[in-house]
Amino acid sequence: MVILASLVIVPLITALLLLVFRSNRARAVLVIAAVVLLVALSLVLTVRYLPASSGFAVAQSGIVSYVMLGVDLLCCLYVLYRGIRASNYLAIFLAALQGILALVYEFGFSHNAAVSTDVYVDALSLIMTLIIAVIGGAICVYALGYMQSYQEHLEHEGSRLAVSGEPSRVAEALRLIRDRRHVFFALMFVFLAAMFALVFSNRLSWLLTAWEVTTVCSFALIGYDRTEESIRNSFRAVVVNLSGGLAFTLALIMLAGGGTPIFELDKLIEAGVDGALVLPLMLLAFAGITKAAQMPFQGWLLGAMVAPTPVSALLHSSTMVKAGVFLLIKLAPTFGWNVPGLFVLIVGALSFLGCTALAISQSNAKRALAYSTVANLGLIVCCAGVGTPEASWAAIFLLIFHAAAKALLFCCVGTAEHHLGSRNIERLDNIFVRMPWLASCMALGMMAMFIAPFGMLVSKWAALVSLIESGHLELLFVLAFGSALTFVIWAKWLGKVLAIGREDERISTRVSRTETVSLAFMAFLLIALTLAIPYVSELFVMPYLWETGQILQLPLWSTASDVLGYDNLMIVSVVFMVMLALLAVQILRRRPPSNDTVYLAGVGADSEERSYYNAFGELSDATQRNWYLDELFGEKILVRPATILLSAVIAVFFIFGIILELMLV
Amino acid sequence: MTPLSFGVALVAFVILGPLLGCFLTGADRIITARMQGRVGPPFLQPYYDVRKLLAKERRSLNSFQGYYLILALIMTILSGAFFFAGGNILLVVFLISLSSLFFIIAAYSTRSPYAEVGAGREIIQVLAYEPMIILLGVFFFLITDSFDTSAVASLELPLVVALPLVFAGLLFILTIKLRKSPFDLSFSHHAHQELVKGITTEMSGRSLAVVEITHWYENVLFLGYVGLFFVWAPPSTLILAVVVALAVYFLEIVIDNSFARVKWQFMLSWSWIVSLLCSALSLVLLAVLNGFVV
Repeated sequence: MVILASLVIVPLITALLLLVFRSNRARAVLVIAAVVLLVALSLVLTVRYLPASSGFAVAQSGIVSYVMLGVDLLCCLYVLYRGIRASNYLAIFLAALQGILALVYEFGFSHNAAVSTDVYVDALSLIMTLIIAVIGGAICVYALGYMQSYQEHLEHEGSRLAVSGEPSRVAEALRLIRDRRHVFFALMFVFLAAMFALVFSNRLSWLLTAWEVTTVCSFALIGYDRTEESIRNSFRAVVVNLSGGLAFTLALIMLAGGGTPIFELDKLIEAGVDGALVLPLMLLAFAGITKAAQMPFQGWLLGAMVAPTPVSALLHSSTMVKAGVFLLIKLAPTFGWNVPGLFVLIVGALSFLGCTALAISQSNAKRALAYSTVANLGLIVCCAGVGTPEASWAAIFLLIFHAAAKALLFCCVGTAEHHLGSRNIERLDNIFVRMPWLASCMALGMMAMFIAPFGMLVSKWAALVSLIESGHLELLFVLAFGSALTFVIWAKWLGKVLAIGREDERISTRVSRTETVSLAFMAFLLIALTLAIPYVSELFVMPYLWETGQILQLPLWSTASDVLGYDNLMIVSVVFMVMLALLAVQILRRRPPSNDTVYLAGVGADSEERSYYNAFGELSDATQRNWYLDELFGEKILVRPATILLSAVIAVFFIFGIILELMLV
Repeated sequence: MTPLSFGVALVAFVILGPLLGCFLTGADRIITARMQGRVGPPFLQPYYDVRKLLAKERRSLNSFQGYYLILALIMTILSGAFFFAGGNILLVVFLISLSSLFFIIAAYSTRSPYAEVGAGREIIQVLAYEPMIILLGVFFFLITDSFDTSAVASLELPLVVALPLVFAGLLFILTIKLRKSPFDLSFSHHAHQELVKGITTEMSGRSLAVVEITHWYENVLFLGYVGLFFVWAPPSTLILAVVVALAVYFLEIVIDNSFARVKWQFMLSWSWIVSLLCSALSLVLLAVLNGFVV
């Protein structure tokens, strides 16, 4: 209990200290110390509570509720303030409505309600805790070095503007130069605190507050640059996520106003399993879907990449979107062959297929990563919608391995962008020669996203099996074609990263130490997790499924065995060991230098430079652009129909849900 | 699949795989020659070729290409061993994709314009055949209630009876996997329709020998897929499976010699259409056979 509270309080105190102590050195010490402390706390918590789940009642929960309500209102006020300044009326409206509904909920229903369990720990929240502390922490450490060079870059840009001499430009330049990194880091830690609160809260009103804090933190972080584009995109994000939050609040009010009022997450899931709830579940699912940036809401996550890379890494791996899928996975026992279940499943499946195809057409590295995130979350959402223990196994596995791989990939792309000056995949040319270890980390992260023997592939395999077993044969097509598309995204990119061109200057040495260390740590973590695949299943995922089954008295869940079988997991692990062993051989082997020239059809001029004499006898470089299949999977072709289709799906399902709800009453 | 059966299958596949693959290619070259009105090389010519390649001076653009190719070979051997040991059919699929990936990376690693074109085309080929291979595993499960290839041994009727259309889909994409014209986009054995040497442009000597041997293993594995549709409870059906597999290989040679290479758009769209139609209709067929309507 003390550990639970300190996991929320430590990052908050760190955030305050970061606002006070603004020197680079103090910041580095604070961030590293806080991250070490958080990781230690989460490990202690894991050892202490795994595998059983326990719930606690908080003394003075009334006061905590007031604090939580206050925080929620502050969030709304902040969005209101920013909305008024930017004259964004939709954001103003949503924030005001949210604040009013939160007040109504607290004082109209929730405040004096008898709640037996305020906070809880179970295997799933422990998994989330470890992801938030370890991966989120690593990203915070990474951000130390990254933001240093980011600030230098801003100052460089600023001074360039200032030199141009125009008065309006000078003001802009001054704004650019202003060092607001203390705010940045404080927000990152508030984000972590909100995530911890989110995975421990059983009292729904607290959960809602944590939910809203993540929305507002992401809003502030996306708009960190204060450029026109970043402000526009931050509002796009906050509007989508406030709509989700509104759906969340409406669900809570419906639950509280029902025949048997419900104020707790575990009670909600119990009632949901009995089939007594339709519309509240759909509203909560809607909230999860918006936060997980599923189609047609994917726009906010794509826009979010204007923020500095650590923000993207945090949003995509351990926080924000993971909060959305966390909620859906929690609710998974209530889903299945029912209206909310099918709703979640269809939205997830279509998002998976659509965004995988879209990712192929992206040459902007961060955009490609963002589409791939939405796609993978789509698969998680889809699995949650299936609602069987096997599908939940796949969903949790996807959650873990996606977090580990995506954090690494985003951080790699961020570092590459700073040192190569572009986030275009085509500009990564020769990175294997210039920054060999960074290219290796990137390659590792990419392979971890789609190929055997890594976790994502194992999860996809499990998803496939669980879909067959639950009778969703139509989705098998989605998965089969989606997997093939996934191969294209990563294979061509991997080829670019691992290409060895001419001898080139090595620039790896210029990367800051915190970046290097945290990238190496994330790569190590990914390798360790892949080797430990069978144990991740045995120690974390299976206990969660069994516990859930026992608490909810679901026989299928309490006797579930892992989907693929322990033997197959072991085989996967062994295959990975073989790969690692061969890699070690390759590294240790004395390498013969290149002793051949590249084939340029007899008119080659310089093999190193890949140049040749063209038909006019002039010197040309032989360059090759990757396949993006724009004419098949481009944004111009796919986004519009997908948005229309998915909006229609959501509308139809809600009409169904409302009719069903009326019939239930 | 026990560790023992896997070990036996591994040893057997390591030894017999390239032998069979070599003989198949030798026969292929003679049959192809006869179809074209030539006498053709000796039956063991593929073996002589590989032996000569292995003896050549080592030249390479970098030290990684050979490494990736060895990884591709090992993954192919592993997947074949899992397949013939009666292991999980999806695992076989995933290991084959891993092998393809390493082959593709090997080509990309050279940063050679011609090899990159070939590698890009190889990716499109994976995109074209992968859905059908995965769906095949799914249908396998729907019939046998297991993902283990050994489950065919307890069937009362061969898979082809229940899944004729899935078999047809497999035949379609088999042309891609066996690198036969009209779908030999990434590299071709026919000199007349190849620009340079596609994905293998920068592979020579030992590297090229490894590619050739990997291809032998792959051919045997994929003919194993064909055979899988014709094996059921009586052990003697294994002979039938071998005969059908050989017949299919002959059919592929005929196709190889009858069509010129197509554009990638044609290959991709038709592979997907055929995969989608074959599997969707198979689902309907299964539903009708089982006497319920989905």
